[in-house]
Amino acid sequence: MTRYVLTRLGQALVIVILVTLITFVILHLLPGGAARAILGKEATLQQIAAFNHEMGYDRPLWEQYAMYLRRLVTGDLGYSFQLNQSVAEAIAQRLPKTMLLSVASTLLAVVVAVPLGVVQAVRRNRWPDYTINGLSLLAYATPIFFMGLMMIILFSQVWPVLPPEAPQGFTLAEVLADPAGLVLPTLTLTILTVAVYSRYVRSSMVDNLNENYVRTARSKGLSEGRVIVGHTLRNGLFPVITLLGMYLPALFSGALVVERLFNYPGMGLLFWQAALKRDYPILLGVTLLISVATVLGALVADVLYAAVDPRVRLKAGRS
Amino acid sequence: MEAPIKQPLLRLRDLSTDIALRRGTVHALDQVNLEVNQGETLGIVGESGSGKTMTVLSIMGLLPAGGSVVGGEILFDGRDLRGMAAPELRRVRGVEMGMVFQDPLTSLNPTMRIGAQVAEPLRVHQGVSKAEARERAVEILRRVGMPRPDKIVDDYPHQLSGGMRQRVVIAMALIRSPRLLIADEPTTALDVTTQRQILELIDDLREEFRMAVILVTHDLGVIAGRADRVAVMYAGRVVETATTAELFRAPRHRYTEALMRALPESAHDGDGRLYSIPGLPPDLSRPLTGCRFAPRCRFATDECRTTDVALTGDGHAFACLHPVTEPVTIAAAAGHDRAVPAAAEPILTVRDLVKEYDAGGAGLRRSAGRVSAVAGVSFEVRPGETLGIVGESGCGKSTVGRLVAGLETPTAGRIVVDGTDIAGLDRRARHRMHRQVQLMFQDSYAAMNPRMRIDSILTEPLEIQQVGDAAARRARVSELLDQVGLPRRALERYPHEFSGGQLQRIGLARSLALRPRLIVADEPVSALDVSVQAQVLNLMRDLQGELGLSYVFISHDLSVVDYMADRIGVMYLGKMVEIGPAHQVVRAPRHPYTKALLDAVPSPDPGRTPSPDTTIQGELPSALNPPTGCRFRTRCPLAQDVCATEPPLSGAAHQVACHFPLRQEAGAAATA
Amino acid sequence: MTAREEEEAPVRGMWRQGLEVFCENRLALVGVGLFVLLAAFSFLGPLFYQTDQVHTDLTRVFLAPGTDGHPLGTDGVGYDQLGRLMLGGQTSIVVGLAAGLLATVVGTVWGAIAGFAGSWVDAVMMRVVDAMMSIPALFLFMLMASIVTPTVPMLIVIIGAFAWLGPARLVRGEALTLRTREYVMAMRGMGGTGGRAVRRHIIPNAIGTVIVNATFQVADAILYVAYLSFLGLGVPPPAANWGGMLSDGLADTFSGHWWLLYPPGIAIILIVLAFNFIGDGLRDVFEVRLRRR
Repeated sequence: MTRYVLTRLGQALVIVILVTLITFVILHLLPGGAARAILGKEATLQQIAAFNHEMGYDRPLWEQYAMYLRRLVTGDLGYSFQLNQSVAEAIAQRLPKTMLLSVASTLLAVVVAVPLGVVQAVRRNRWPDYTINGLSLLAYATPIFFMGLMMIILFSQVWPVLPPEAPQGFTLAEVLADPAGLVLPTLTLTILTVAVYSRYVRSSMVDNLNENYVRTARSKGLSEGRVIVGHTLRNGLFPVITLLGMYLPALFSGALVVERLFNYPGMGLLFWQAALKRDYPILLGVTLLISVATVLGALVADVLYAAVDPRVRLKAGRS
Repeated sequence: MEAPIKQPLLRLRDLSTDIALRRGTVHALDQVNLEVNQGETLGIVGESGSGKTMTVLSIMGLLPAGGSVVGGEILFDGRDLRGMAAPELRRVRGVEMGMVFQDPLTSLNPTMRIGAQVAEPLRVHQGVSKAEARERAVEILRRVGMPRPDKIVDDYPHQLSGGMRQRVVIAMALIRSPRLLIADEPTTALDVTTQRQILELIDDLREEFRMAVILVTHDLGVIAGRADRVAVMYAGRVVETATTAELFRAPRHRYTEALMRALPESAHDGDGRLYSIPGLPPDLSRPLTGCRFAPRCRFATDECRTTDVALTGDGHAFACLHPVTEPVTIAAAAGHDRAVPAAAEPILTVRDLVKEYDAGGAGLRRSAGRVSAVAGVSFEVRPGETLGIVGESGCGKSTVGRLVAGLETPTAGRIVVDGTDIAGLDRRARHRMHRQVQLMFQDSYAAMNPRMRIDSILTEPLEIQQVGDAAARRARVSELLDQVGLPRRALERYPHEFSGGQLQRIGLARSLALRPRLIVADEPVSALDVSVQAQVLNLMRDLQGELGLSYVFISHDLSVVDYMADRIGVMYLGKMVEIGPAHQVVRAPRHPYTKALLDAVPSPDPGRTPSPDTTIQGELPSALNPPTGCRFRTRCPLAQDVCATEPPLSGAAHQVACHFPLRQEAGAAATA
Repeated sequence: MTAREEEEAPVRGMWRQGLEVFCENRLALVGVGLFVLLAAFSFLGPLFYQTDQVHTDLTRVFLAPGTDGHPLGTDGVGYDQLGRLMLGGQTSIVVGLAAGLLATVVGTVWGAIAGFAGSWVDAVMMRVVDAMMSIPALFLFMLMASIVTPTVPMLIVIIGAFAWLGPARLVRGEALTLRTREYVMAMRGMGGTGGRAVRRHIIPNAIGTVIVNATFQVADAILYVAYLSFLGLGVPPPAANWGGMLSDGLADTFSGHWWLLYPPGIAIILIVLAFNFIGDGLRDVFEVRLRRR
């Protein structure tokens, strides 16, 4: 177990370093070079030279990378001249709001998708399975912004109960003060997530229902409900923990679109605005941070999985 | 054995079961009639697809998806299970019946503690408290012979070996003190020495708990030793039922007779061929008339094919119009020594062969240790000879086979094929060597590319070794098909279109393609039914005589090896502990392990009882850290201090590696 | 066990058997039908229904369907909506197919090399995949799209350049399992080389997984194009794609111009569903086990 965790930790570290390398390379691929891209088109040659010297962009590449890493470690993600704000600060303001959206929709998705997937597995190849499967495939095939728009039309036009726009608070508290505005963005992201999760839960449960140990459990004269809840469910849900980690990149991509659609002031919106304005320090900073969050999320999910599944927990410890 | 009580505990009356599949319905059981009395063991024997497992799954209500009982009665203690309400049915099945399954590795919930699984029936059906349930679990685990049961209740299944897991499943079945225990192939996945422990345990428990037992197996030997009465099933019907002694002394149904004659043990002198049943069992999704065995029966008449033959007779009942009248003997016949030119140069010489693997440890880190799979094995094979290698799982016999076939590189030692040491060969020469040695697999389906037609599969070795032109290859492939007795049209088909026996023939044809002098056959018949096994074994022997082949025949099944081999080597935990002429090794073993192995093999002769003192106790030690000296000493009844030093393999023709061999080598006194 | 009718059953080729299995999956047939229909509409449609999709006509904006020879009306700059759907379909389908193909090819090669080389090569190559996969795709696409001006070929390259990670993982896993299969061992026992194992055994058996995955890649690529357009980084006009038309339509939702919103939305859903259905059907085809009865 300890060894597994350490190995996994080492892997995560390598991946994080590779991610920084990728953002570093992109930084140097920017049109007109890093300095021009960061300072903007109006910057004079002197300004650029001064900036290059200050940031060490006139040194050898490996040295630049070392400096880049050093700055990252101290939390310095760069400075946005367009926002006139440090990147770290800009992100810190919006990160909690994106987290709120992601965590809420993930929790909701798990709560909905697990029962759906279980029903599908238990009634597999019968109408509940077909119906749910059809709906989740439909949800998967619908561009999420189109789905969100449908929700807006339904719940704020046809049946006007919810606002079409997300709360515009500056802080998390302000956003939370307007819970009605959170409903549609969260639901939209949830629907997409449910479509993915329920398929996964279904196949994991089907695999488990076909296992021999289920037959053994039935031979004890257990009721079908007890066989499913007491035996299959736990085994079927262990892999879902890993899925939570694996699904993070898609979740963040989805959040980007949802934030743009509902004008929700999170990292996605920040990133989108930065992309339109070519504000590269923000773009790279957000990309880096969101990638590191993904790596850490996947790490936590894997470690959690190892901790709950006795087959992993008790195996590695011995050898 | 108890005197049976008047009313049978379980009675099946005209039980019929269907299984709906994508393409039509399989009538898995057709009017099955059976009885089991309290305190008695009923053996149900039959080949795959005979319906033996479906019968017990119907009783337990555990039929696979699409399966349902469509007719008849299941009377348990006089009450029909089919008419019972669901909760009552669950109680009867959960409390009064218990079931043990074939594969102990997958029959337990991997994420539930042993104690919780074992005690679950008590918690559910009797509402026993958690603490008491645990206590009862410990108690029953102790009863089934688990070491340290108070620790094991808190373990998870993957921490236990296969044999131990089967004990857990048995404990789970017994904790409810059932009146009926159903064991479906309970030992098929286990090694013979473990099999013996488990079967003896079931026997003891039956007497202690006064249970009825239904023992389902394909193995006539297991039935002969353990059952009071036997039902023989074929194609969804019971074709014969009698007391065990009666059935083995005088089988009446022609199918029972054929089954017994097909056993390797029945090979009498003469040409030494086994009786094999031609053809395949009928397709149960089609309507069938007449005796279902008629198409494969030597004695079948038109009447057999048209009349539905019922099970008749009192006590010894059978459904056959032309029953057996002559006696059938399964003789542990005398050895069938064939003349092998002993003076000839060996085709294969293996000297001090060692193979070690890194244990676990992926990536760059040094591994935790080395698994010693093969530890200094030496033997030779002469032209035209069959060397059998036997041993239990993990003994290294398959590794030896793969090393000889060149699929793996030895850690140390020499493998001399036809005068050349292949360990020291470069790639080119090794490439050529492969013509001489070919491998035959246990699971031919897995060993054939599912996307290649038989044509390409058989041509592949010729292409690799660049033998002949296209026309010559075509001719060779046709010739191969003739040799293994398959029609030409087989060439255009894919592997999944063939049955197990046919695939094994194709596998043999492929290994023959390059005209090798030695074939390494790794468990070639282990996955086959007895009747099909006989076909393949006969074919292998015929071709050996015809082509002058040598075989290294690897198997866990001593009776098959005894039938096939001229000489036998016995392996234990990477070591060759005994090697010698087949009849001497089998009839006069010198190593205590060989003796225990032989005694553990269930014999299809109800009169034979194995000596009780040779049961091996305990578990196979880990090959990661094997015992020093004699590796068997940790489980050997004869072990003494000197066994900590390694015994050399000594003797002339019949060699043994033991400090205290059970007997002198036959004829050794004269030469000494 | 199986094939007891071996004597009677007609000999059928692998393709024939595969086709039969595919046709048994009714949804797969629906998928093929949908794809053919949408592709014909986009590529053959303009031959029969010619419209000007280059010049804007500000005098004829937001015409309702049916008016003035515009069956589906016109949009905010006067393009005929039906003709525009055909044009947009061309881009969506071409970018989807090309990006899916590119991702599959790159991923297959990368994954195969990693899987066969093993040891440290594998470790390094797969860590690169892990690292790139941990950057959410849409963020990466936008980053790239903000650096280069998106054109159709550029979109294909951008999407293809990052969508190959999934196939790479898949193929590597497949290569690792396939090379330990018994039939590969059997071939080595005959003296066959690694090259032959790859050519005759591993590729033919892995190809199914790759093809199935490729259809899902196409579906995903079409969605990605839509997302990029929505985020303002799609192909600029007068070029069009369904995703871009849908995003433009969003702005008009509340003005009652429904014909600008639903047709492209439904078209995207249908084409994505079509590729998913086809993928599921192909999966059945390559599952040889399904034929073992």
